[in-house]
Amino acid sequence: MATKHTFDAIVVGGGPAGTAAALTMARSGLKTILIERGNFVGAKNFFGGVMYTHAIADLLPDFWERTPPFERPLTEQGYWMLAPDSVVRMTHKSEHYKHEPADAYTVLRAQFDPWLAEQASKAGALVVTRTAVLRVLQDSKGKVIGVRTDRPDGDVYAPIVIIAEGVNNLLTQRLGLIKNDLPPRFVALAVKEYISLPAKDIQARFGLTGANEGAAIDIFGDATMGLPGTAFLYTDKAGISIGVGMLLDEFIQHKLRPYEVLARFKNHPVIQPYLEGGKPFEYGAHLIPETGYDRMPKLAADGVMVAGDAAGMVDALHREGTNLAMTAGRMAGLTAIKAHQAGDFSATFLNQYRQDLENSFVLKDMKQYRRMTDFLDTTPHFMGTYANFLNDVALRYFTAHGIPKRDMERQIVGMLQERRSFFGVAQDMVKLLRAMRG
Amino acid sequence: MHSVVAIKQVPDTTNVRINPETGTLIRDGVPTIINPYDIHAVEMAVRLKEQFGGTVTVITMGPPKAAEALIECVEQGADRGILISDRRFGAADTLATSYVLAHAIEAIRAEHPVDLLLFGKQAIDGDTGQVGPGVATRLNVPLVSYAIAVESFDPVKRRAVIHRKIEQGVEVVEVSLPLLMTVEKEIAPVKRAPLSNMIKAATYKPEMWSADTPVQFDITQVGIKGSPTIVGKAFTPPPREAGAILSVAEKGLRDAVAQALTMIGQAHVVTVDLHV
Ligand SMILES: Cc1cc2nc3c(=O)[nH]c(=O)nc-3n(C[C@H](O)[C@H](O)[C@H](O)COP(=O)(O)OP(=O)(O)OC[C@H]3O[C@@H](n4cnc5c(N)ncnc54)[C@H](O)[C@@H]3O)c2cc1C
Ligand SMILES: Cc1cc2nc3c(=O)[nH]c(=O)nc-3n(C[C@H](O)[C@H](O)[C@H](O)COP(=O)(O)OP(=O)(O)OC[C@H]3O[C@@H](n4cnc5c(N)ncnc54)[C@H](O)[C@@H]3O)c2cc1C
Repeated sequence: MATKHTFDAIVVGGGPAGTAAALTMARSGLKTILIERGNFVGAKNFFGGVMYTHAIADLLPDFWERTPPFERPLTEQGYWMLAPDSVVRMTHKSEHYKHEPADAYTVLRAQFDPWLAEQASKAGALVVTRTAVLRVLQDSKGKVIGVRTDRPDGDVYAPIVIIAEGVNNLLTQRLGLIKNDLPPRFVALAVKEYISLPAKDIQARFGLTGANEGAAIDIFGDATMGLPGTAFLYTDKAGISIGVGMLLDEFIQHKLRPYEVLARFKNHPVIQPYLEGGKPFEYGAHLIPETGYDRMPKLAADGVMVAGDAAGMVDALHREGTNLAMTAGRMAGLTAIKAHQAGDFSATFLNQYRQDLENSFVLKDMKQYRRMTDFLDTTPHFMGTYANFLNDVALRYFTAHGIPKRDMERQIVGMLQERRSFFGVAQDMVKLLRAMRG
Repeated sequence: MHSVVAIKQVPDTTNVRINPETGTLIRDGVPTIINPYDIHAVEMAVRLKEQFGGTVTVITMGPPKAAEALIECVEQGADRGILISDRRFGAADTLATSYVLAHAIEAIRAEHPVDLLLFGKQAIDGDTGQVGPGVATRLNVPLVSYAIAVESFDPVKRRAVIHRKIEQGVEVVEVSLPLLMTVEKEIAPVKRAPLSNMIKAATYKPEMWSADTPVQFDITQVGIKGSPTIVGKAFTPPPREAGAILSVAEKGLRDAVAQALTMIGQAHVVTVDLHV
């Protein structure tokens, strides 16, 4: 007695992209089902994590009254350049960050994602968990008409499917919206630990006055053994999120194990005191797409749209992903609503979604940093060389040797030339500028 | 055909730790699950429903969070979920728990006669196995504990043949309906729920019963007041010491046996390794 399940829209994946899409559509009255394979929405998700409120506000103007499970607002942000036994810090702390709601908060996804899904449920979306989508169903002309799940009588039909399956985009690949599986050159692997620590210790170590302050530090150089990649140290309410990420290719080439890189970073003399006495509570690994603007999948085809990590929507330089995902999910949802009004689910109509993204920060930023991955790929020494150089300069600069300062400046220039020819430095800087300016 | 299944939401004991000072379970932040035996009881009820038609009602006494467990039972095919929840029910022992469940079942069957009551054989946190038998006694229905298979079930002739696990093997009993069974996991392997159930459960809201609506409970018999159990002390027993091994190859048969006998005399546990 198989029942035919028919909806106005199907969303695959309960991350920020999928949930934003489901919420948007359900709120406008579309009969929407969100299918998530995890035990609960968010069960399988983790990130650094900084969440940006602008994207949440666009989705839910009254989000603040709905008491989202934020950890700490960011009141200090910046970079540390790590050498093997020293650090140069450049962070920005400001009273201007202190307003409610703040611009950005640290967040634990196992708490945030269920909260967001609850908002989608309240808007009328049907959230089904512990159910994986095995494949997308198409009619004889290739138009998407629904999905097949891994449950008995598990086919679901709808004129529109939004795929928000995250970085491991198997459905997107099987639909032919992208030609290849992610090559190891264009995907980063990150590992993270959540270390639980009393709030008062966190506050003392990071110089925070209370739970109303928080820090997010991104770390380069020795954190990733000088290889292209970043590490991070974020403060949560009663814990620290610490992690490292590098291109998968680097792990393979250098035969590194992710947890060893993280363990090494945790034991760094500059880092270790921040973690002292903390208890590792959670460990996880996750991929980050670094595919870039030019290698994104097709974002729309007949009856289907792709949003978030599944489409490679990440700005690695600013560690932004969730806000791109949420914005894209919302825009895909809005396009689906218009498609229902027009009764047109063709690729041509749905391409409006891509247009909307091109006009927003999502694809503008992706376009601007389109050369970032190539830059790191062709300048693999960049982080290591310059992080070490900065540390050596600092040591020389801050130590009095009883020699004239003019001589010290010459020594500093000499130190740079030892590492990289004048021409090499110029080339690195030109490349960096191009990668930043798009 | 109407079955009522009693389920308990328990801490996932694979994650549970004991507070060494108080000797009690640390329940904070520990994920909860449906008591593993109970989900098989639900499955058994659903299978009988598939065979004979009818309804499956699931009840639980617990905190508001236990609603999740009822929703999961709806996913598995139950039709109705009732959460009996009231602060006054807190800290119940098996006497009080069985009173509340029995009283609730009386109210349910007054509206809709019940053919079968299903319980798990025991809860993995309390482990007494007393609640099912307690309810059977209070309702004066036949009890079949540790059931592993339903050989036959006839809602018309009102008889069932059930296999139950006993120490010596398997006992086959014929019993009249209505009856109460407490089940082992073998009773019915849990099937993956069909998508239609998941869709139904996604919006399902269990009924909420308090100590006085829609049914009046006798407040003196519930919660801490209705619980004569006093926990004197809870502790982790010290690990058993390893037994001595006397090797025949090393000592020779005569000496090993002689020494073994002396040690048995001193009430030690001994293994004689006869391997020469
Ligand atoms: C270590 C790390 C640090 C990061 N730091 C930040 C940060 O600080 N700030 C920031 O904004 N971003 C950060 N990001 C990026 C951010 O996490 C992602 O960009 C964002 O989560 C993408 O959202 P999404 O909804 O597209 O995908 P996801 O959040 O990955 O969600 C995809 C969902 O789909 C489900 N799913 C997949 N396949 C199926 C299927 N077949 N059937 C059913 N369900 C399925 C998954 O279970 C998952 O729940 C970080 C990422 C990592 C890994
Ligand atoms: C030594 C000891 C000390 C305890 N101390 C406390 C205490 O201080 N505070 C406290 O709150 N509890 C305490 N308990 C727990 C409480 O007594 C029992 O958990 C409760 O009465 C149920 O008994 P049980 O877990 O042994 O269930 P069992 O009798 O083992 O369960 C058998 C079956 O009965 C059914 N069942 C059991 N409980 C329920 C329920 N609530 N709703 C629906 N069906 C149910 C299920 O089908 C289950 O599979 C203690 C238990 C013990 C053994």
